[in-house]
Amino acid sequence: MANVDVKTEYAALVKEAAAGDRDAMERLLLRAQEAAYRFSLLVCGHPEDAEDVMQDALLKTYQHVTDISRPEAFRTWLYATVRNACLMKRRRRVGEPRQLVSLDDSGEDRDGSATVDVVDPSRPADQRLIDNGMDKQLRDALANLPRSQRMMIVMREIEGLSTKEVAAVTGLSEANVKTRLHRARLMLRRQMERV
Amino acid sequence: MTMPSKTCEQILTDISGYLDGDLDATACETIEQHCQQCSSCAALVKGLRETVGLCRQAGSAPLPDAVRQRARESVRRLLERGPSRPSDAE
Repeated sequence: MANVDVKTEYAALVKEAAAGDRDAMERLLLRAQEAAYRFSLLVCGHPEDAEDVMQDALLKTYQHVTDISRPEAFRTWLYATVRNACLMKRRRRVGEPRQLVSLDDSGEDRDGSATVDVVDPSRPADQRLIDNGMDKQLRDALANLPRSQRMMIVMREIEGLSTKEVAAVTGLSEANVKTRLHRARLMLRRQMERV
Repeated sequence: MTMPSKTCEQILTDISGYLDGDLDATACETIEQHCQQCSSCAALVKGLRETVGLCRQAGSAPLPDAVRQRARESVRRLLERGPSRPSDAE
């Protein structure tokens, strides 16, 4: 399983970095930043915030790595940290159309319609992400999902976290994660057929 | 055009478990047999599988060069400061 491989790779990097291996630390920090940037950009849609979240992940990973007692839990910690940083960014934004207190507040299932929260219409970094290999149809479909569903898809399908890891990051039960992911997949597919 | 049936509803409910390999062999076989006879469910399974595949490809796509370059520079600056007080960089 790719997920197990990634988890194992992260755990190995954390152990080596914590033991003073500079090369491992460098690789770990780069990977943490990349994950943070991708998550933030795809879930929240602000390239400038994504860069800040990336920096936050860099510093927090560096500070955290020598204290970590369970290297295999690093990835869960990283995404929880990134998710929280995205939430803080959202709270600080002034005049945003939809002020939310939680990234999990989806607006979904109230009337069956998607809550669109694509914020930056120019999205230059977004465009570059597409150019760098992300399918445009997928990106457009993802942008039309409610934020909570987008987060499920990003964590589970794009970043490759397991159901258990997503549950740990979000504080939801595994059963709830599965239900939300199921709905998100169906909605994403419908959006893919529309765009 | 296949008419919706109870089995179609079950497929819709079970499809994520099927894609994730969470279902037992009997449940998988039920879905596969149904899809051989039901074009709409077969299309749904195929479409979702393709969508999930595209997502997984996206996860391995490189970030924009400029972003990666900034990330590398940030890491280098942080590591050059040494392990004592990384928060000073904030």
